Amino acid sequence: MSIIQAKDVKKWFGDFQALKGISMEIAEGEVLVICGPSGSGKSTFIRCINRLEQHQDGEIIVDGTELTNDLKNIETIRAEVGMVFQSFNLFPHLTVMQNITLAPIWVRKKSRSDSEEKAMELLNRVGIPEQADKYPGQLSGGQQQRVAIARALAMDPKIMLFDEPTSALDPEMIKEVLDAMKELAKSGMTMIVVTHEMGFAKEVADRVMLFDEGMMVEENTPDEFFDNPKNDRTKLFLSQIL
Amino acid sequence: MVAVIKKNAKALQESLFSSVGSSVLTIGTTYLVLNFFRGMFGFVMSSDKDWLAVLNNMQLYMVQAYPESDFIRVWVSVGLTFVFSGISIGLWRSEDRSNVSSIFDTFFKIGLGVLFFTIVAPTFTSYMGNDGSVITEEIFSRSTRLGILIPTLIATVAFFGLKNMKINFSYNNSDVVFLYLFIPVALLWFVKLPVIQLDQNKERIMPDPLMPIANTTKIPWSVIFVMFLIAYFIGIYFKDVKRLKNVMSISWFLLPLLIFSWIFKKPQIDMGEVLTGDIPIFFIFFIIGLVTVLFINNPIVKKYYSIYLGIILVGTIAGIFIGIPMLAKACLLLLSLFSMVVPAVSTSDQGKRSLIIIWFVALVTLTFLLRGGASETGIVVPGSSIFGGFSLTWLLAIFGTYVSFPLGVLLALGRNSKLPIVRIICTGIIELVRSVPYITWLFFASVTLAVFLPAGVEFNLIVRVLMVTAFFSGAYFAENIRGGLQSIPKGQYEAADAIGMSPFQKTGLIVLPQALRAVIPTLVSSAITAFKDSSLVTIIGLFDFLTIGKTVIDNQSVPVNFVGHQRENLIFVAVVYWIFTFTLSRRSMKVEKRLGLGER
Repeated sequence: MSIIQAKDVKKWFGDFQALKGISMEIAEGEVLVICGPSGSGKSTFIRCINRLEQHQDGEIIVDGTELTNDLKNIETIRAEVGMVFQSFNLFPHLTVMQNITLAPIWVRKKSRSDSEEKAMELLNRVGIPEQADKYPGQLSGGQQQRVAIARALAMDPKIMLFDEPTSALDPEMIKEVLDAMKELAKSGMTMIVVTHEMGFAKEVADRVMLFDEGMMVEENTPDEFFDNPKNDRTKLFLSQIL
Repeated sequence: MVAVIKKNAKALQESLFSSVGSSVLTIGTTYLVLNFFRGMFGFVMSSDKDWLAVLNNMQLYMVQAYPESDFIRVWVSVGLTFVFSGISIGLWRSEDRSNVSSIFDTFFKIGLGVLFFTIVAPTFTSYMGNDGSVITEEIFSRSTRLGILIPTLIATVAFFGLKNMKINFSYNNSDVVFLYLFIPVALLWFVKLPVIQLDQNKERIMPDPLMPIANTTKIPWSVIFVMFLIAYFIGIYFKDVKRLKNVMSISWFLLPLLIFSWIFKKPQIDMGEVLTGDIPIFFIFFIIGLVTVLFINNPIVKKYYSIYLGIILVGTIAGIFIGIPMLAKACLLLLSLFSMVVPAVSTSDQGKRSLIIIWFVALVTLTFLLRGGASETGIVVPGSSIFGGFSLTWLLAIFGTYVSFPLGVLLALGRNSKLPIVRIICTGIIELVRSVPYITWLFFASVTLAVFLPAGVEFNLIVRVLMVTAFFSGAYFAENIRGGLQSIPKGQYEAADAIGMSPFQKTGLIVLPQALRAVIPTLVSSAITAFKDSSLVTIIGLFDFLTIGKTVIDNQSVPVNFVGHQRENLIFVAVVYWIFTFTLSRRSMKVEKRLGLGER
């Protein structure tokens, strides 16, 4: 049973066509890694999944609900889909604890004490329980990204989207974020990860895709993708980044 | 001790004489400041200045012609404000502590200042006499100088010693606040001031005898101080009751309304009407609201919610046309608004409790305002306006800011809206209001506004001025806030979207808090501008604080003879304006510092 179905998704920015017909199905619990050069449409595609960008053609069905302009649908889907951004996007005027409990309290209408308990659990899970009362500005990049992961998890999402989560981090901080993501993948979460961390892809991905110029040029298991790619474009890409 | 002095001297050298340029600057500014001070001191002390022109007219300055028999209303208003402040300071009592050394340090610096200025104060001053000749007089004799110099020197050295003893005693910063009020109030009981007295022939007795301050000033201020203190302790006592802070914040927004109606209206209340009308209506509506809150989310009842809402809406519309008491009409309207919000909020016990409190407070306020506010004023004031002097300036500043700030927020959000109609209307209002001078708007308020209002609706001049002021400063606030809105990165909107927040939640919880924080300095400077611009109302015949000083007192002739004493009054007015704006900007700096915590 696939939790996300995309059929021939197309998107234009003005005259520029960013997505030229992407189709895929993602099963529940699957970890999908999307890589590709910049401008290849990989970020645009996952942003379409929770409607931060609108696709203009084709259809996307998330957990049985089709993404249309209907506001009710969009809000339902956004509550089911967590997202982690390249630039963290934590709310700088709220403490770490408030950042995490904001959505459960206001969107899910949970009580404050339950939400805080859950938030502490999540902070423990990403390994920074001691930072709960600090402001995002007082944390390192790696810590901020882990808070962002906890914030997304606080809504109990069925799907997690990662938009280049480690690209804005110093090398020594990348590991702590990847560790948190690996732990998450092992717990059975459905994840779509846009990243250039090939080590992560090899270790936890169920499938790896390569996007180029708005099209999916290769879809493969990680072993095949790295050792025995079908497409010449993939070989070129791998030779450049490995 | 010697080491400490050496260290201080070194610091002084480093900060003032570090290079040739800074030495020149230091000496140059010192020279300018000294000359200014000597001139000012000579001006203030010279014998042709009559400072009684200020002192004797305090009442005029504060409330202009407000009748003395109704002064109790003014005192109650001032008292209410202080009680509110007291409770708030107690509720939000900070945990910051300061060491007592910092007080000694302050006193030491004050002592140094006094010493310095006592030494450099001029002995003689000269002024132009009536016949054009220059008169020189001694204003600061050697004995006075020594009389001030020696005790100050001793005190300064003492404070210097105390400050360096590193006494280990700290106090809570909030606790000192009441000292600020205690010192002036205590002084009221000791200070004697020259007072103008007239003999049998209505001639002013010269020289003016020193008299203690009148009981009508001393006693109310003392009572207010005691109430302030009690309120402060009440605040501390209830510090941990979380909901009380919310109630207090809302109450602050209602306070100006309360004061406004309290000073403006003197209702003749018929107790029979209150007992048979207001109180039963209040209880009926309170119980309807209570039942709604408690049972609306009951699954059986919920099915009939739309019918219930329909009945109330029809009742509200019908109520406007049929002859029921005004209070019942207003309560119906409030109930229909309330009923729309209830089902969403009363999902938890906590939500129910706060709804009941809100409903109770809203009904009490409504009943009070309608009984007091709808009745005719019984206060008779000579002249056109019930407000005058400082109370008018204060009203325009506070009420103007109160109304214009939310208006500014709405206009700014509207201008950024995606809906074209809202955007065009808001942009139109902002651009129209900003492109016409404030004085023009004031004339508009006094002459033209009545034409634009529906027939039969008539407002007092002050209310009309408040309306245009609200829009005028609202437009400026809106542009400031829009600047803040634009400084919010796109990522913040996306992050809020991604966790499923509704547009209202996104604006209220993510965007506005950050945008407002970013523009606090400009907002404060707008508020200060609004406060000072209130003096322009003199042009349409209102007597604000400045007008009293510049025009009214200057024209008091026999028997007090203040004709020509404009300069003393202008200096006084300037000092008062300065005290208020300076305090405001200092407070805002503290707020900035406290809110800036997350930015670093």
